Amino acid sequence: MKLYENEVKKIFDTMKIPIPKQYGVIHSAEELDQISVNFPLMLKSMVLVGGRGKAGGIKKAQNMAEAKSLVKTLFNLKIKGLPVESILLEESVDDLGACYIGTTMDPATFNNVVMVSASGGVDIEQVAREKPESIVKQAIVDNTKTLPKKIAQELASALSNNLDKKIETKKRNKLQDNLADIISKVYETYQRCDARLCEVNPLLLTSKGVIAADAKLVLDDNALFRQNDLLQMLGISEKRHDVAERTKNELRAQVAGFPYIDLLPENFKKDPQKLYVGLVPGGAGYGIFSIDEVATIGKRFFHDRVVPVNFMDSGGGPTQNRVADMFHLLMDYPIVDIIITSRFGGISSCNIFIRGLIKAVVERYEKGLRMIPIYGRMVGTDLPSARTFLEKEKHEHADALQDVHIVIGNQRIMADVIREGIQKTSESKGWKL
Amino acid sequence: MKKIAPDQGMLYYLISKKRPDLAKTIKKTGMIETVIVGLGGQGTRHAALMQQYGTLITAAIAPGRGGTRLLETIPIYDTMKECLTEHPNIAAASIWRHYSTAKDATIEVIETGIPIVVLITEGIPLRDVRDILVAARKHNTLLIGGNTPGVIFPPEGIKIGMLPDVFYPQEISSESFGPKGVTIISRSGAILYHLSDALASIGIAQNAVLGVGGDGAIGSTFRDLVPLAMEYKNTDLVVVAGEIGGCQEELLAEDIKKNPKKYPKPIVALISGNHAPEGKTMGHAGAIVAPGQAYGTFQSKREAFENAGVPVANSQYDLMKEVQIKLHNITYFNTGNYYKKMKTVWDAPLEKPSWGTIITNVLPNNLILSGYSLQEIIEQKGFLETAYLLVKGEFPDKKTAEEMRKIAVEAATLQIPKVKQFKNEDISKTLVKYLVLDDALAKYPQEGTTGAVKKTMFCLGRTARYLSGVLDTEKALEKLSGNEPFSHIIYRAITGNTIVNEKHCRMIETMIVASVDHGVTPPSAQATIIAASTRTPYEVAVAQGIGVITDVHGGAGAKAAQFFHECIEKSKKEHIDVSQSARILMKEYIEKGKRIEGLGHRVHTKDPRRDVLWNVASQTGVAGEHMKLSKIVSALFEQVRGMNLPINVDGVIGSIVADMDLNPSIAKALFIYGRLAGLSAHYFEEISSQPVMRRINFAEVVYRGKEPRHLM
Repeated sequence: MKLYENEVKKIFDTMKIPIPKQYGVIHSAEELDQISVNFPLMLKSMVLVGGRGKAGGIKKAQNMAEAKSLVKTLFNLKIKGLPVESILLEESVDDLGACYIGTTMDPATFNNVVMVSASGGVDIEQVAREKPESIVKQAIVDNTKTLPKKIAQELASALSNNLDKKIETKKRNKLQDNLADIISKVYETYQRCDARLCEVNPLLLTSKGVIAADAKLVLDDNALFRQNDLLQMLGISEKRHDVAERTKNELRAQVAGFPYIDLLPENFKKDPQKLYVGLVPGGAGYGIFSIDEVATIGKRFFHDRVVPVNFMDSGGGPTQNRVADMFHLLMDYPIVDIIITSRFGGISSCNIFIRGLIKAVVERYEKGLRMIPIYGRMVGTDLPSARTFLEKEKHEHADALQDVHIVIGNQRIMADVIREGIQKTSESKGWKL
Repeated sequence: MKKIAPDQGMLYYLISKKRPDLAKTIKKTGMIETVIVGLGGQGTRHAALMQQYGTLITAAIAPGRGGTRLLETIPIYDTMKECLTEHPNIAAASIWRHYSTAKDATIEVIETGIPIVVLITEGIPLRDVRDILVAARKHNTLLIGGNTPGVIFPPEGIKIGMLPDVFYPQEISSESFGPKGVTIISRSGAILYHLSDALASIGIAQNAVLGVGGDGAIGSTFRDLVPLAMEYKNTDLVVVAGEIGGCQEELLAEDIKKNPKKYPKPIVALISGNHAPEGKTMGHAGAIVAPGQAYGTFQSKREAFENAGVPVANSQYDLMKEVQIKLHNITYFNTGNYYKKMKTVWDAPLEKPSWGTIITNVLPNNLILSGYSLQEIIEQKGFLETAYLLVKGEFPDKKTAEEMRKIAVEAATLQIPKVKQFKNEDISKTLVKYLVLDDALAKYPQEGTTGAVKKTMFCLGRTARYLSGVLDTEKALEKLSGNEPFSHIIYRAITGNTIVNEKHCRMIETMIVASVDHGVTPPSAQATIIAASTRTPYEVAVAQGIGVITDVHGGAGAKAAQFFHECIEKSKKEHIDVSQSARILMKEYIEKGKRIEGLGHRVHTKDPRRDVLWNVASQTGVAGEHMKLSKIVSALFEQVRGMNLPINVDGVIGSIVADMDLNPSIAKALFIYGRLAGLSAHYFEEISSQPVMRRINFAEVVYRGKEPRHLM
């Protein structure tokens, strides 16, 4: 979970990492009047994406009139698609040099790594690509809670050596101690808060000492359960999602309690020349793979006229009602022409799955709601009772279930089932694919 | 189908790479022992599934549950250290603890030196995972996971984790499997079914499937596991099933390029996520750590693999095609056999729910106590030794037997609570009062298996004393020497005599031993087990069982004794043949609607306890006219009633009690006394092997104790 800059700075403050004076956070232009500030004043858009400065989301105001007009501009701004809903007001500090300090986990070795660079204040990923040698890295292999003093000193020394050479020796020694202290604290914050990333960029050298002008902290979602004190201090009561705004379908799935992602934009216009496939695929791994499978089969056999529309994780033993909700969602989604489904499991029950599916379809038939063909396969736990139930229902609700085609057992692989479903659906629509 | 020997399979190979000495031991024992750590709902369920598949689970770890058992037979320990002192050859562990406690549990396992650790737990905080990794590196552990579905080895029939039985091994004949095939190493569990499905449909066997785990930091990555799988001689090809996010695939590809010698066998990569929505998985910090390397996307992974000469599939069809090319269209089995097997797997009716007991196996005409037939026990063993067997599963050695005797004798010397016996009160009810009022018994400790058996001995000693209270024979117990055999104390309490008649003494003990247990289904056992399921104190639970022993259940012996007395008396008084007096009395009984007790049995047509009791009665010279009658009573009954009801143990005991000229109610006292041992065993079994407040269906019980064996 990403934190907003003002939240991270609150944490930095408790960790005694120096930050600019914080005046407050406003959610509307009017609130500016209620907060006493000094000028020059920094106005920073609180959005959870990088590159805010470049996108015009960070401004400096010299007086109230300018501040007011800038605040209005900022509230009308969208940064990488995200609207600016709050603005941080903070003290502007002088800049005698900028550097970068960060700690994260190396995804290759899973060691902690502390990174420092004298090229601060700019896009650090770009620095990494263009001038990798200007970033000094140190792996911490034993996951210590605090940074060993020696390592902090070495990194600080490397950093200060790379900074402006004109700093006089006496000042340089003090700066070095200062930097070592901040580096240690950044590492400690990373560990103590269970962060995935803790970053200061830029750390500014000012006439008053070093100051963390921007701050970034990404918390490990797996550890949120034990970071209650931290979340409480920040006034965060529920987990925030890092992804952009949710679509209608995504919200609906969230309420129903299953993971779902739309692959098409919210108001996508359907191409009548294409076939749109909804997926109720089983576990998350096959949820991702089945998207590829549908697309590949579309390319190979149907002139690339087949479009998968969603990711869904329908595994893990959902209840009958939840299974029904999955099918309802896709059948209510006007874009979907056909649903492909798979149940293959050692744990989750075929019987519950087929009951949920049939419940949804029969309900829709009786209410006269939109129906689309369902093709799929089921193998696994409870198969005999699932088969008996399906046969009985096919008999009792023949009309409602005439377009439900479920293969039982694994004599045919899913790729064949998908291909056949697409073939039959396109034929029934009279399409020449 | 015959599985391959464990030391031919890949799991053994992995163990031998990490711990050569342990591998040598496994070669000797022919067994790969595993431990399960964490017994929540998931762990418990999968323990049963693993065992069913063929995994040998030697022990389980669950703090606070040490001394109890999992699935009735697997010992549970509080700590891994204790477990290893008892089971030093454990080679693999699966960990199912909650994410909040998984770190300490896993490090504890790693530090004991177990070579293979499979961490199933999902969602462990990354900082904890790093601590686990530090420990695993230090102890040279092969750590798989976290958040892994586990590992499965189809040829040897071993799985550690939750992968289902859908992976098919090589067939070398219609009766046996072989070790060769393709090894699948995957990041996702759900996708594995479809990979296996696709490969099996073209006759490609899987000799091992390893789930590396889906969390942000894991014990072993593709780069660690692929070379290991290739070193194993029976792996012909490795399928790497990757997905978008992270950099495992890129790192593997880079290593393949740099160190081709580590990768002597073909690889096919499958990557999923080509059409996944963007921007969900790739973290930006990673790009800083490995500058100049774009990674985490489908493109980056595909390019990396293709650069290293590894074909990349993104669909089932392509996977099948690439594997067939690399393996030159080889097949490892007849797909028809495979489909047949899968059909039997999926079509199998759900297994009937069952639970186990290891105490007594009740078979028609046979009772097996912990492997020994009751007849043998009755002939050769005393009451205390038999009670010890019921509770502990083995007979005591000489020294222990003496220790047990001392406990029982000591218990018999202590004063008993003052209990008032009402007129015509059933013995069982009076004994219930003694049991629940006895402070000495309540205070006696019962912890652990030794505690359980000691408490049982103490209770049996106390009960001898209670019986003396019931039968008004307390005087006979006043001057006991500490060296007296316990059977003497029983004899004194039952008869009130202070001078022991050894033959009668033996006869009494034999009848008691004959009554010790009849499995979990008699109402007395059910009552005790239900009470135990709420973890009520020992004396309360056994009192429940004793309390339901009435005229209807367990009272037949006394009634039979009474009947035999009447028959003999009538024959003497009226100078008629015993068989005639018996027939007359039977008719009278039937006319009055009274049952002739001691005949017929729900399970046995020839009660296994009958002949041995008759024999002992003859040997001890106790056998008299009542017993003689008991041998023909069945035939007489058939003449009168036309029904063939064989005499049962109650009938035999009734006749012996009558021959010994004891009060008929003694027959019931002996039954209760004997059964107390069985009830103790059921109490301790319930509290040590079953969850609290479980729903108990007594018809679902299955005997899971020792195989049949004989006394020396």
